[in-house]
Amino acid sequence: MQPLKQYWIAEALEKDLGDPTNPNNVMSFKQVIDLDEREEFPHEIIDWLYNWKLQHYYIPTECGGEFTSFDEFIAFVRVLSRRDQTSAIAFTTMFWSYLTWMAGTDEQKRTLSSFMKDANGAMCLAYSEKAHGSDLLASDVRATKVPGGYILNGEKWPINRATISGVTFVLAKTDEAGGARSLSLFMVEKSKIDPANYTHLPKIYTHGIRGSDMSGIRFENCFVPESMRLGAEGVGLELALKGFQITRALCAAFSQGAADTALRTTLKFALGRQLYGKTVFDMPQPKRTLTDAFLDILICDCATIGVARGFNTMPEQISVWSAVVKYFVTTTLETVVQNVSVVLGSRFYMREEHDWGIFQKVLRDNAIISMFDGSTVVNLHALLLQLRQLTKSRARNAGRNQDTLQARLLATFDLTQSLPAFDGKKLELVNRGGDDVLQGLELALTSLSDLKTDSNLNSEVLQQIIQLTQMVQEELKTLDHQITESTFQFGHEQAPEVFDIAKQYCVLHAAASCVYMWLYNRHHLGDFFASGEWLALSLRKLLLTFRPAKALPARLGDEAVSQELVRLYSHNRMFSIVPFQLAQPQQQETTTDATQRLQLQA
Amino acid sequence: MQLKDSNSKPSSSNAVDTIQEWLVNQIAKQLGINAQTIKVTEPLTRYGLDSIDSVTIVGELEDWLDAELPPTLLWDYPTIEKASQYLVNEAGVTPAETTNQTTEVTTKPQEAPKEKAWGGLWNKISGS
Ligand SMILES: Cc1cc2nc3c(=O)[nH]c(=O)nc-3n(C[C@H](O)[C@H](O)[C@H](O)COP(=O)(O)OP(=O)(O)OC[C@H]3O[C@@H](n4cnc5c(N)ncnc54)[C@H](O)[C@@H]3O)c2cc1C
Repeated sequence: MQPLKQYWIAEALEKDLGDPTNPNNVMSFKQVIDLDEREEFPHEIIDWLYNWKLQHYYIPTECGGEFTSFDEFIAFVRVLSRRDQTSAIAFTTMFWSYLTWMAGTDEQKRTLSSFMKDANGAMCLAYSEKAHGSDLLASDVRATKVPGGYILNGEKWPINRATISGVTFVLAKTDEAGGARSLSLFMVEKSKIDPANYTHLPKIYTHGIRGSDMSGIRFENCFVPESMRLGAEGVGLELALKGFQITRALCAAFSQGAADTALRTTLKFALGRQLYGKTVFDMPQPKRTLTDAFLDILICDCATIGVARGFNTMPEQISVWSAVVKYFVTTTLETVVQNVSVVLGSRFYMREEHDWGIFQKVLRDNAIISMFDGSTVVNLHALLLQLRQLTKSRARNAGRNQDTLQARLLATFDLTQSLPAFDGKKLELVNRGGDDVLQGLELALTSLSDLKTDSNLNSEVLQQIIQLTQMVQEELKTLDHQITESTFQFGHEQAPEVFDIAKQYCVLHAAASCVYMWLYNRHHLGDFFASGEWLALSLRKLLLTFRPAKALPARLGDEAVSQELVRLYSHNRMFSIVPFQLAQPQQQETTTDATQRLQLQA
Repeated sequence: MQLKDSNSKPSSSNAVDTIQEWLVNQIAKQLGINAQTIKVTEPLTRYGLDSIDSVTIVGELEDWLDAELPPTLLWDYPTIEKASQYLVNEAGVTPAETTNQTTEVTTKPQEAPKEKAWGGLWNKISGS
């Protein structure tokens, strides 16, 4: 069995869902494509997941569920998403329950928990309005105070699962004076409000996730009891922003599932297709494209896992960390899907050829991830406003409390460390205390230098890792300098250059995450991971954001990486730094068992 | 920027004034408007400071005052006057010596002409 406990649920779910290329299985490519073509909501799949009791893993243990860490959570969301982002997103609107786990009363928590577990209930998030989009404070939906509750009026649109859900989290204006305290959040239970006072809006036809219940909801003089308000009156915006910190980080898992399938199905094609007497994969250019895609997935993996664990270890820094992955991971993996489409050639554009046409569906479905839950610009905006404080705290913290910093990084990045319980109350609207991940570069360089005595390591690879990590640090210094010197203004008229700085910050954060992931897990993620070529190549790849190739050390050979890619593919393992077992085609189940065990325990 | 000399610990009304003045100057420079036009009794949103900005400005205030403050300070006390009074009278915060600031301000060079200096401005604040 997989030694890392946080992957057990993902593996068990995979096994029970079965091989997606077997058309008879519940979330097979064939089935999800058929549903997509018919633009039908995936009721059968959702029911299957409820029967499997996956919803329990969205409910923290103290609220009666099985959720313990986001680390575990993102692994199983990847499993869903690699098969079908439509169902993954439809089922995972349940992660809005975090608003209640964070801010609800005991009664509200009990209600929601039993609604999810016992009534197979789902919720939706109703923030957006047709006229306002990202501008939440401009809300036209009103909640007017009356004895015992509020009267809701207005329309939310476009809302995923607005129609097929029993609980709607509605952000509404409770104070006409406006301002940051003018919004309140309501956990509206549809079963307890008068059906005469609300209507669902018609299905919205979308480019991807076509089977989704995209619609909206309109309230007309709808009485909602006070017990449906989450938290105090006026804390709506604060809760919304903290809730986004959670869901934005989790969005990365949707992208990772999608990128896995895009790469897997393309690799399958490249390994099978013969041209000029060879396979496509044997040609250097396609091979390089696929190997690079694999590296991008590994980089994103390091960033996402770091943030997921950071919720437990460093909640006060998550306002920055979650913005980093929501930007970096989703946009990087969108590019990965685009890049590999070239190798799939004409089939990427066909709706039925090759694995039932799953690629074109991934391409369409995946395009929404970087946009919803706060678009790329909104997300970068949230980050760039914090850059000045980050730069200051980096200077202030330099060289201080190295031992505790080291201990926090270890707890975050060493995947064998058990995590403290997550406490949503510790999330902060803006980063407190700096960004450990970038603060720790100095420590990382010391640890890397200590490895020079390790005879198991290839010295050329280590040397490159050290050199490239130094470059990451130099770039960070340049960035800090730029931040201190640059012009900046409040509000929404930020210079595009400041957005660029924010993007670069994300790249550096991701690079540092890769370095710690390697340093702290070299002894428990197998030989490929330990040898570090992937890390040197990944760091080099990331540094291309800052420097031309000729200003970087020469690219190491990537044969080990492309071999690992093929090995994971042929053993049906996730493309990941923790290549957990995916469902096996039925006939292979027994034969590959021994190899699997060896790989993960190596 | 004119700040009162306060070699001794400022009295509470002085402290409120000092914080008010600091905020007026920050916001004036940041938004590129004349400090004279900012009224301490007006909600800050009137000057184009949105909810997220006002969370980040608290970080600057924390650095200056060397105290941990609620990030939502300016949400709950949305005018300069209310926020300053809260800080001094309820949170018991007093600004440290502020005499150096005048010199710091005048010695620092660049002042972005039209755009509001991100770096230029915040750097000039002493004590951080
Ligand atoms: C498939 C799908 C599912 C969705 N699900 C939900 C849901 O479940 N619940 C929900 O509440 N909403 C949902 N939405 C709505 C989604 O969150 C909004 O579309 C999103 O907030 C953007 O709003 P908008 O499209 O109106 O664009 P606007 O916010 O009007 O933006 C318009 C333009 O302004 C730019 N812009 C906006 N803010 C900034 C900034 N700060 N800095 C620089 N540029 C900026 C944008 O990039 C864009 O170019 C969903 C949308 C889709 C398509």
